[in-house]
Amino acid sequence: MSGHGKPDDQITLGSAVGESVLRYGGADRVSGAQQYLSDLEFPDTAHVAFTTIESGCAQINSIDTSAAEQLPGIVAIVSADDLPNAKRFGISHQDRPLLATDTVNFHGEPVVAVVAESTEIARLAADLIEVDFTPLPGVYDLDSALADDARLVQEPDVRPGDPLNHSNVLETAEYAWGDVAADEPSAHVIVEDTYNFPMVNHFTIEPGGVIARPYEETGVEVHSPIQHPFLLQRILASIHDLPLNKVRVVAPDPGGGFGGKQTPRYEPLMAHLAMRTQRTCRLVLSLEENFQLMRRSGCRIHARTGFAADGSIVFHQMDVDFHIGAYADVAPRIMAKGSYVGAGPYRIPSVTVDARAVLTNTTPSCAFRGFGAPQVGWATESQIDAGARALGMDGLEIRRKNLVDAGEAFIRGDHEATADGHWHESLEKAAELLEWDTPKPPNRGRGIAVGIKPGATSGLSQSLVRLLYDGSAIVYAGTSDMGQGARTLWKQILSDELGVALEQITIISGDTESVPFDLQTSASRSTVFMGGAVLMACEDIRRRVLELYAEVTDVDPDTLDHRPGTIMTPAGTVPLVEAAQTALGKLRGEFVGQGTNRLRGKSGHPLGGDAAFYEFNATAIEVEVDPDTGEVLLVRHATVGDVGKELNPIQVRSQDEGAAIMGLGHSLMEQVMLDDNGCIRNLGALDYRIPTYNDVAVDMLSASIENEDGPGPYGCKGISEGALLCTAGAVGAAVADAIGVPIRDLPLTAERIWKAMQARDSATADN
Amino acid sequence: MNDHLSQLEPIDVTLQVNGTPVDVSVPAHRTLLDALRDDAGFKGSKKCCADGECGACSVFLDGTLVNSCLVLAVETEGSDVTTIEGLSVDGLSDLQQEFLKAGAVQCGVCIPGQVVAAEDLLRTNPHATATEIRDAMSGNLCRCAGYERIVAAIQAAAETRVTIS
Amino acid sequence: MVQYRRPDTLSEALSVLERAGDNGRVLVGGTDLLIGVRRRPLSPLVLVDVKGATDLPPAIEVHDDGVRVGPTATMSALVATDEVQRWFPALVAAANVVGSVAIRNRATLVGNICNASPACDTAPALLVHDATVTIRSTAGERQVSIDEFFLGPGQTACGPAELVTAIDLPRPPAGHRSAFQRLTRRRGVDLATVSAAAGLTADGLATIALGAVAPTPVKAVAPGPIDATDPAAVRELAEQLTEIATPISDVRASEEYRRAMTTVLTERAITAAADAATPGA
Repeated sequence: MSGHGKPDDQITLGSAVGESVLRYGGADRVSGAQQYLSDLEFPDTAHVAFTTIESGCAQINSIDTSAAEQLPGIVAIVSADDLPNAKRFGISHQDRPLLATDTVNFHGEPVVAVVAESTEIARLAADLIEVDFTPLPGVYDLDSALADDARLVQEPDVRPGDPLNHSNVLETAEYAWGDVAADEPSAHVIVEDTYNFPMVNHFTIEPGGVIARPYEETGVEVHSPIQHPFLLQRILASIHDLPLNKVRVVAPDPGGGFGGKQTPRYEPLMAHLAMRTQRTCRLVLSLEENFQLMRRSGCRIHARTGFAADGSIVFHQMDVDFHIGAYADVAPRIMAKGSYVGAGPYRIPSVTVDARAVLTNTTPSCAFRGFGAPQVGWATESQIDAGARALGMDGLEIRRKNLVDAGEAFIRGDHEATADGHWHESLEKAAELLEWDTPKPPNRGRGIAVGIKPGATSGLSQSLVRLLYDGSAIVYAGTSDMGQGARTLWKQILSDELGVALEQITIISGDTESVPFDLQTSASRSTVFMGGAVLMACEDIRRRVLELYAEVTDVDPDTLDHRPGTIMTPAGTVPLVEAAQTALGKLRGEFVGQGTNRLRGKSGHPLGGDAAFYEFNATAIEVEVDPDTGEVLLVRHATVGDVGKELNPIQVRSQDEGAAIMGLGHSLMEQVMLDDNGCIRNLGALDYRIPTYNDVAVDMLSASIENEDGPGPYGCKGISEGALLCTAGAVGAAVADAIGVPIRDLPLTAERIWKAMQARDSATADN
Repeated sequence: MNDHLSQLEPIDVTLQVNGTPVDVSVPAHRTLLDALRDDAGFKGSKKCCADGECGACSVFLDGTLVNSCLVLAVETEGSDVTTIEGLSVDGLSDLQQEFLKAGAVQCGVCIPGQVVAAEDLLRTNPHATATEIRDAMSGNLCRCAGYERIVAAIQAAAETRVTIS
Repeated sequence: MVQYRRPDTLSEALSVLERAGDNGRVLVGGTDLLIGVRRRPLSPLVLVDVKGATDLPPAIEVHDDGVRVGPTATMSALVATDEVQRWFPALVAAANVVGSVAIRNRATLVGNICNASPACDTAPALLVHDATVTIRSTAGERQVSIDEFFLGPGQTACGPAELVTAIDLPRPPAGHRSAFQRLTRRRGVDLATVSAAAGLTADGLATIALGAVAPTPVKAVAPGPIDATDPAAVRELAEQLTEIATPISDVRASEEYRRAMTTVLTERAITAAADAATPGA
């Protein structure tokens, strides 16, 4: 493994995979030349701004646009009344309107859209529009949403025929195996508690935006830094009744995604405005508006876990409520997928998980690194440590006892899932890096935790590769490169498989007009799925070269074979590029290869199919807690992922550290806070705090386990979420170890820790 | 109504950006960041928080590191501004190359600001320790959190510069 | 309706401020002011950029009796001044944690106190350093003690048509030591949850000042000297002096936590002052 990136020309041809090849597009990113959405310029652009109200739930009585209309340069002012036939949209539920319709259902939901000749006029007009509204008794937390007399976030007719449409429960999921009642008597210790995971924001450094333009007379072209351009294309076509070829989605590289830019929100409205005004309409969001666009679902978990005297888990029961917000987005799937692995990677004879996705009048939650697994994992990992404490074991010992071995089932029943890696190796490595068994100074504590997340379960990724006559190549792959560095990997794979120099490879992505279909960039799926498609496209090219080479050189194709970068002939090996040139001859030309990588789902499977792989991570953390203030100093933070194979070690490390540090955010400081009217109190960067350089551990250590046992190219697995899955569990256990009492609500702010110490001391004093 | 429009009346400002004179005509409230990006065409400086909290808009104003979102364009009449574009006129700087080699660059939106702030650090404290680097850089947020990689990149560039000088 | 004025002289600046009345805002570093402007785009403000006034007092003037800080002195310039480092350690510690490097390059000491945030980082230090504030208007000049400068959140003794032209920091008597402590939500750049500064005379008389625990920064003086190397005595004094705190709950912390931390930080500030090297002559 190389710890330092290498320029392309320092890599030996044919051995790019496994090297720290410098990231594709890196030079533009360090020099400021990279064009993100807000850097794009189009002629004759009109600018869009939204009018919102300061309430999380309100009846819209009337809208006065008269003052705004008098401003010069107004192109259009549009509210829901101007869109009588507009459909609602969504992924699993078509519940989201283009603009707030009759009611505002969360703080920041746009009520009016202004299109004007300048951003200033648009903003000014939006602020001059007066919305007369009556606050309604909104439901802003789980308890109020689940109360018997709770106001419904969605009118029943938004979900016709849904048996749950008279409640705020949008969907449920139940998983069970074994027999808790039968196993319970064998438990030596039972621990039971409630855990809370906060709502947190993605805080992408690019807040985002949309530019929509008329396209080919009746169509629309939408530029959006979206992770799933093809999903956006489908939804735009559906909501605006257009054929797919009349909807072009161009996706500039997202400036940070983390799941937050997967699904359409303002794109359908922007497309409408562009078609309505026949102008290029531009919307660039502020960070405050971004907070009102995306967040991670909060979660409350009640858990009850039984342990045998030797530490074996006997049963585990969880009631999981995801606090999802005003519209479904992909939250029901997050609820289902997160709670599917709710019992963790453990050997447990009996399990029940009952989960609900609960609507509230808050920002609609969406995918966010970990996809529900970090929320549920916080409770399960904390329960394991509670069991260990009760039995006098330590966190490492109890996990050694219960963690499944490779091939062993950790989800049982009809849709069994087995460990697809040697996960104990990660656990041991994390403990070793933390120096788990060494003595600790006072006020220090150590914690270790594990996390798993199911990878993608189905879907199609396609790639086209063109091998050009001069030995350069172009790859068409729809994966969005939002920082994970996918294109760098395609370049490495292509270089090795075709014997093409790294610097002679171009990657095209992010345009539905030129790039073939890819389901989505999410769930750490791309290296496995699209990487596989690129690999297949390369093999396809080699086969085509072989066939034409055989024909042109008049040899029996059966005497030829191909290997990465070469054609094998009876006379010896011929570099693929040379063979291609020979085959193409004087008139030249090129070879086009296609790779189609499809994972078929399984009907009846709760996730729609088996996960292609599991991301597994072990994290071990040492903290020092200030006994007077509760402040936490991270002394050491070790994260170990089970990655299969590092295709690009420096990128793996960068992803792993990044995920780990992001995990520190919800563990220690991040939380979206609401006031009594459902308005976000810490809207923006001043009072919503994310980790800085100084919030990272003094020693930040990242390592990988490589057994080449993944389903992706060269035995790789997806890797970019792992290090965040169990950060909270490890930090929580470390803090509990340091102060002697556990805390069950995240984030573990200094104040919360101080209060726990106060409670501990007064309990001691009482005794 | 026209009261509201008076704020949009433009004021002419001439400044130097990366050594070249630039004339812009901006309303009083427009920030240097917006003027650089939208009026002068220097889009390398990025806008995230607009509150001086994230550092994505870091530039040099008369040689001093500032958040260009917290400077009005009209304040910069006659000033000399260096943006990220001005740091790589003759190809990537040593620091920019070290960012790439260290794997510090993910989505990249924070990176122009990180590079500018790191350049300021290396100029003011060429022998910065890891702790000093973390302190000096903590006004630049990275959500992909390449912090550890960026510290490594700055250390590598510092070593080379000290050796050369 | 933001308007921008860049007067060439101090007297012109004062006239512009006078005409602008309640809408006038003095612009120097802008690091607080422009955050507000972005959030209230429709407010009719007149931003008076005094950086162009050629007859302003110098940014930092050092003399034998102390240091005079003018309206354009940035935090960065302040902490880089030798005498400030030697004589006013609490102020240096506070100025060094105002925002990031880029913020400190722009933010001014005068601006920091005129913004009058209850959490203003430098105010507690200025209170223990016995600063005096010089305020000018077209009517003339007056001086107020820093003790009387803060009137409420965002409100100071400097009226709408006035300008703070100097903060005078008297050179502390021999053997005087000071320190500053701050609690934040994260270790990197942050706003104070609670802050405390302490000054300690050679004979053990402590003065403390607190930030973010009352509508204004507040100050208390010990009734008599203590042995600051005795933890119990320091603790007792800290508990006694911090009775002036009237904290509230907000997004940063609860009242209860703030109150408790006020005592902890005060104790630590007094101890740190006692442990500090006696400043050089």
